[in-house]
Amino acid sequence: MTNAVEMRGMRKFFASSSTLAVDNVDFEVAQGEVHALVGENGAGKTTLMNILYGLIKPDEGEISIHGERASISHPDHAIQKGIGMVHQHFKLVPSFTIAENIMLGMEPNTAGFINGGSEAEQVRQLAESYGLPVDPNLRIQDASVGLQQRVEILKTLQRDARVLILDEPTAVLTPQEVRELYTVIRKLADSGRSIILITHKLPEVIAVADRLTVMRRGQVVGRDEVKNVTVRDIAAMMVGRQFILKVEKTPATPGKTVLEVENLLVADTKGLPAVMGTSLRLCAGEILGIAGISGNGQTELVEAIAGTRPIDGGHVRLLEQDITQHTVRERRDAGMAHVPEDRMTTGLNITTNLDENVIVSTYDAAPYSQRGFLRFPPIHQLAQRLIDTFKIKSAAVGQEVRMLSGGNLQKIVIGRELEGDPALIIANQPTRGVDVGSIEFVHQTLVQARDNGAAILLVSVELDEIIALSDRVAVMYEGRIVATLDIADVTEEKLGLLMAGSELPDEIPQQQEAAATT
Amino acid sequence: MLEWIARYQRPLQIGGTTLGIILLLVLITVLPPSVIQSSIRFSTPFILGSLAALLASRAGVLNLAIEGKMLLGAFIAVIVLYRPDLPPEATPVNPLWGVLAAGIAGGVLGFIFAVLYLQIRINLIVLALALNLFVANATVFFMRVRFDVFGTLADPSITGLPTITIPLIQDIPVVGTVFSGYNFIVYLSWLMVAVIWAVMYRTRFGRHIRAVGENKEAAESVGINVTQVQIFALTLSGMLAGVAGSFLSLGVLSQFLENMTAGRGWIALTVAIFAINRPIPAFFTSLFFGLAESVGLYVDRVEAITLPPNLVQMFPQVATLGALVLVALRIRGSEVLRRRTFARDFGKQLDDLKNAVTGGKTATGD
Amino acid sequence: MKRLQGALENVSIPILATLLGLLVGSIFVGAAGVQPIEAYTRLFCEGFGSTDCDSFSDLIIVDIEDEDTGEIVRYFAPFYGDKGHSLGLGLERATPLILTALAATVAFKAGMFSIGMDGQFALGAVVAAFLGYWLPQQVYGVFGIEDPDTAGRVLFWAMRLTIPIIIMALAAFVGAWYSWIAGYLKVKLNVNELISTIILNAIAVQFVTYLLNGPLRADMNNVARTERIDDTAWLIPFNRTFLSDVNWFNGARLGIGLFIALLAGVLLWYYMWRSTRGYEQRMTQGSKLFARFGGISTDRAILRAMLISGALSGLAGSIQILGVERRMVDGFVLSGTGFDGVLIAVLARESIVAIYFIALLYSGLQLGSINLQFGDIPRQLGGMIIALIILFTAMESYFRELITRVRVRLMPPASPSTPQENPAGGD
Repeated sequence: MTNAVEMRGMRKFFASSSTLAVDNVDFEVAQGEVHALVGENGAGKTTLMNILYGLIKPDEGEISIHGERASISHPDHAIQKGIGMVHQHFKLVPSFTIAENIMLGMEPNTAGFINGGSEAEQVRQLAESYGLPVDPNLRIQDASVGLQQRVEILKTLQRDARVLILDEPTAVLTPQEVRELYTVIRKLADSGRSIILITHKLPEVIAVADRLTVMRRGQVVGRDEVKNVTVRDIAAMMVGRQFILKVEKTPATPGKTVLEVENLLVADTKGLPAVMGTSLRLCAGEILGIAGISGNGQTELVEAIAGTRPIDGGHVRLLEQDITQHTVRERRDAGMAHVPEDRMTTGLNITTNLDENVIVSTYDAAPYSQRGFLRFPPIHQLAQRLIDTFKIKSAAVGQEVRMLSGGNLQKIVIGRELEGDPALIIANQPTRGVDVGSIEFVHQTLVQARDNGAAILLVSVELDEIIALSDRVAVMYEGRIVATLDIADVTEEKLGLLMAGSELPDEIPQQQEAAATT
Repeated sequence: MLEWIARYQRPLQIGGTTLGIILLLVLITVLPPSVIQSSIRFSTPFILGSLAALLASRAGVLNLAIEGKMLLGAFIAVIVLYRPDLPPEATPVNPLWGVLAAGIAGGVLGFIFAVLYLQIRINLIVLALALNLFVANATVFFMRVRFDVFGTLADPSITGLPTITIPLIQDIPVVGTVFSGYNFIVYLSWLMVAVIWAVMYRTRFGRHIRAVGENKEAAESVGINVTQVQIFALTLSGMLAGVAGSFLSLGVLSQFLENMTAGRGWIALTVAIFAINRPIPAFFTSLFFGLAESVGLYVDRVEAITLPPNLVQMFPQVATLGALVLVALRIRGSEVLRRRTFARDFGKQLDDLKNAVTGGKTATGD
Repeated sequence: MKRLQGALENVSIPILATLLGLLVGSIFVGAAGVQPIEAYTRLFCEGFGSTDCDSFSDLIIVDIEDEDTGEIVRYFAPFYGDKGHSLGLGLERATPLILTALAATVAFKAGMFSIGMDGQFALGAVVAAFLGYWLPQQVYGVFGIEDPDTAGRVLFWAMRLTIPIIIMALAAFVGAWYSWIAGYLKVKLNVNELISTIILNAIAVQFVTYLLNGPLRADMNNVARTERIDDTAWLIPFNRTFLSDVNWFNGARLGIGLFIALLAGVLLWYYMWRSTRGYEQRMTQGSKLFARFGGISTDRAILRAMLISGALSGLAGSIQILGVERRMVDGFVLSGTGFDGVLIAVLARESIVAIYFIALLYSGLQLGSINLQFGDIPRQLGGMIIALIILFTAMESYFRELITRVRVRLMPPASPSTPQENPAGGD
C-alpha cells in the first residue's frame, strides 16, 4: 500500500538565523494511521510540517502524496492535494460566524453573491456527519477555545482533507476537551484519513498515536510503532541521552520567608480570570518549582508577582513588606529579580547593544548614571564583568545583541538579574530554546544562588527541569495551585497526573479549594 | 466611568444615534432648503471618499493617500473634457466621460499605491505622504506645461454635470428639495453606499476583504491570495476616491483649481474612522460633515448669526475625536468590568468556601 | 572596516535615490520641453549656488576675476556670495523643517508614529503671532507708554531680550500639550496615534484659521492676516543688523532661529543618547515589554517624548513667525511644514546629523524650483522631484534585498551540513 505522505531528503536552512532547521529528513505517514511527530521545541517538527503544507519552501527534497510526486509551494496546492493543517494559533476571523469561517475561500455563491442560508445548512450537515456538532451562526469571538479548534478541524474536513496535520492540538485545551479531541482523532483515522500529530507531550503520543517519528535538532532520530516503545524510550530519543538532567546539589536549608502570596487573583490580557486565589510561600535558600501545562496561569502569576500585570485581589509580600501595589521598580529595589519567559521581547531589547541591555533595572542609580546622565565607564565595566563571569561567548562590550545565540542571550539576562544578589529570583522558563551546555550552566548558577541564600521561584513546563532543580514543587492547574509536594515525594507520574487536573489517590488539602470553585 | 460606559454601551449607542438623527431632522426643518441641498452636495465627496477609505481599512491598509487620489480624479476629469480649440457651436464632450476617466485614474493610482506598498514594501506613511505631494505638484505642473494656465483650469468646453430632477418626488414639498435636483455623482454616491455594503457583506470578494483585514493569516491559510485581494481593494478604493475628486471639479464649478481637495481626503478618512469602517454609518457621518461645511458657509453669509464658519467645520472633527475616545473607553471599560466582576465573584466564592469549611461541611462547588 | 562600509552604504543609498529621482524627474522636464541637464543646472544653482552660478562645478568652486588686479581667485563656492547666495534662503527655509523633523524623530524614538507636527506647528505659530503684538502692547500699557518709539532704551532692550524668549516658551508649551493629547490617548486608551494626530491636525488647522479670520484679524486686507509683531518680539535676522553689509544673505531672514534649531538638535541628541530619560524612551521604542519589565514607566516615557515633540513643533511655528514672517497670513497653516518634517525625519532615519543635511537639501530643492518659475518650468517640479526622491529612498530595503538576491544567485552561500550550535530560533 502506498503511503499517504512521503517526504524524502527534506532540507531547510534559515539564512536569517543561520540555522539548519530541517536536515536531510525522510518522513512517511501511512493511510489511516495516527502518526505522532515528536521532538522538543526547536527540533524542526513545525518547520517540516510547514513545508508539507506549503508555507515554507524547502531547499531540497521531494514530496509524494498518495504515491504521486507533488510540488507544494503554497497552501493552496496542499489543500488541493487533500492536506489540511490545524495550526497551534488558530487561523480564524473573530467577527465571522462559524459557518463563515469554515466556508471562507469556498463560499457557495451565485455570480459572486454568497448564498448565506445554504452555507449555514452545509456547515450543519458537515458537522453532523462527523459527529462534531456546532452552531453555524455563532461568532468565533464568542466561541470557546475547544470549539474554535473543532471549527479548525471542520475547516479542513470541508476541504476534503485526507491528511490532517495537528500542531500541538492539546496545548490550549481542558482535559475534557482533550479527551473529546482524542475520540475525534481516532474516528477520523478510522474513516481512512491520516493524522499527523505534532507534539512534545509524550503521554499524548501513547494515548492516540499508532506510529511515531522523533526529531532532534533538525534530524530524524527514531521512528517506531507506538506499541513498541515507552515514554522513557521516546524521551531518551528526544533528548539524546538517557534521562540526563542531574544537577549536583545539597539538600536545601530554608531560612526566613522571602515571598508570600495570598489568595492572588489575576486576570489575563482580555480581562478573563487566569490566576484564581493562589497562595504560596517561599523561603530563603530554597527553590520552589511551579509545574504545569503552559496556559494554566503560570505566566500571569509570575507577571503579577513581578509587577508587570495588575493584581485584582489578594496580597504579595516580599520580605514581610506588602508589595501588592508596588511598581516594578519598587519591587526590584526591595530585592526582586526576574528572568522572564520570553527573552527576545521581554528579557532583552534586541534592537540595541549589550551595554544598554545590562543596565535596564539599574540605569538610573549610581554608578551607572549621575544627575540624569548615563556614565559609560561603569556601564562598560559591568558589561565586561558579566561577559567574563558568565562566559558569554562571542560577545563584546557595545555589541548589538541580535547577533548572539539563544544560550548567550539567556546568560546575559541571568547575569544581569543575579547582579546585586537579589533576595528573590523569579526564573520563568530559564532554559527554553537554549543549548545543552548553557542549560547546565544556567542550572548550576541557579543552585549556587540558592546556596548563597536566595529564594528562587522556578517556573517551567519541562518536568525534568522542575524535578532536577526544585526543593519543593507546586503544581498549577487552571489558575490554582492544586498541590505542593516535597521533592522527596515527587515522581514524574504524580506530577503528570496533577498537571492534567486529575486527583492523586491520597487526597491533599488543596484539592478542596479546587473542587469548590470548578 | 469606564465601567458605566461598558455596562451601558448598547443604550449609549442607540441613544447617541437617535440624538444624531433628531439633530439632523431638526436642522433640516430649521435651515433653509438651499442649505440642506448644499450640505448634501458637500457631503458627496465625503461619502465616496469615506467609502474609499473604509474599503481600504477593511482590507487592512490605512489609505492615507485618499487626498492625492481625489486630487488626481478632479484633475483628470477636467482635462479629459478640456478642448480650448473647440468651435463654440460644436457639442462638448459629455462630462460623464470625465467622471469615468477620473475613476480610472484613481484606480490606476490606487493600483500603483498597492503595488508600491505591498510588493516593494515602502513604509505606508512615507508612501502616502510622498504620493500626495507628488500629485499635488504634478497636477499643477501639467496644468502649466500642457495647458499653459495658472491657478485655474476652466473653459467653456468643460461643462458641468446636468442636474437630474426626479419626476414625482420633486413636487413633494420638503422631500423634493432634499432628494431631487442633484447631479449624477450625488446619486451615484448614494447608490455606491448600497453597492459597497452589498459587496462587503454579501459577496465572496467582500468577505475575503474583511477576512484579510481582520486576520490575514486566516485568509492565507485557506488559500486566499491576500496580496491580490488587497490590491483589488485598494484599486477599487482608488476608483471611488477618483470619482469623489471628479465631483469637486465637475459637480460644482466645472473647473480645476490648484489643490482643490484642500484636505477633504483627510476628512474622508476621519469620516470612515467615525463610522468604524461601516458603509451605512459612513453615509450618515458624511451627511453630518457636509452639513457642518454648508452651515459654516451659511452662517458666514447670514449677518444675524455670529458663529465663525471654521468653528462649525471644526465641530465634526472634534466629534470624531470624541467618538474615537468613546470607542476606546468602551473597549477598556469592558475589560475593567470583566476584571472587577471576576474579583468580586471570586472573592465571594472564597468567602463561601471559608464558611463551608469552618461550617464543617464539604464544599461542593457552585 | 565594516563600520566604514556601513557608513558608505548609508551615505551612498540616499545619493543614489536622489540621482534616480532626478533621472525620473527629467522625463517631466523633457515633457515641459526643456533640456534636463540645463534645467537641473538651474535648479541646483538656484537652490544651492551663488547668484552667478551657471554650472554644477560652480556649486563647489568658483573662479572670480578680481576687478582691480585682474587676478583669478578661487573660492569655495558656499562661502562666496558677493552678489548673494541662495544657501542663506535655503537655511531660512530649513530652520522650521529641522525643528519639525526633530519633533517627529523624538516621537518616533519613543515608538510613537505621531504625525501631529502640522497642527502643533500651526498652534505654535498662532501663539507667537498673537503674543508678538499683544504682549509688548501690555508691557507698554503697564509703563504708560503710548508710542513704542518713545520707550526708553533700557526698557526696549529688556523687552527685546525677554519677550521673544517668553513667546517661544509659551508656543512650545502650547505645542507640547497639544501633542500630549495624542500621547495620553495612546497610553491610557490605546488609541492609534496616527489616527488621533491626523484628526488633531485638522482641528488645529480649522481653529487657527478661525482665529486668523476672526479675533486676530488685523485689518480688512484681502487675505486675512494678523497685526505685525512688535519690534521687541522680532528675532531680527543678522543681515538686518550687524551683518547688513554681507551680500551672501541675499535677503534671507536668517537669524538666531537657525542656531536655536541647530542647538535643539544637539540637545536632543544628548537627551536621547546620553540621558537616562532618553534611555527610557529608546528602550520603550525597542520593546515596551522589556522596558516595563525593567521597571521603566513606559507611559511616562511616551508622554515625555510627546511633550518634547510638541514643544519642538510649537517652537518651530513661533520661530517662523517671530523670525521670518512677522505676522500670520491666511494660508500659512497649509504650508505643510509639519508633514515635510515627518518626511525628513523618516528619510534621516533617526539620525540628527542627517536631519540637518536632508532638511537643507529639501529646502534647497524647493527654493531652486521656486526660482525656476521665472523660466519655462513650473516650480512644482521641485515638489515632484522631492516626492520621487522620497519614494526611491523608501525603496531602500527593497533594493538591498534585490542586491542580496542577485548576490546569492551569483554565489550561493555554503550552508553548513551540520546543525548550528544553539540556534536562537528557527522552528
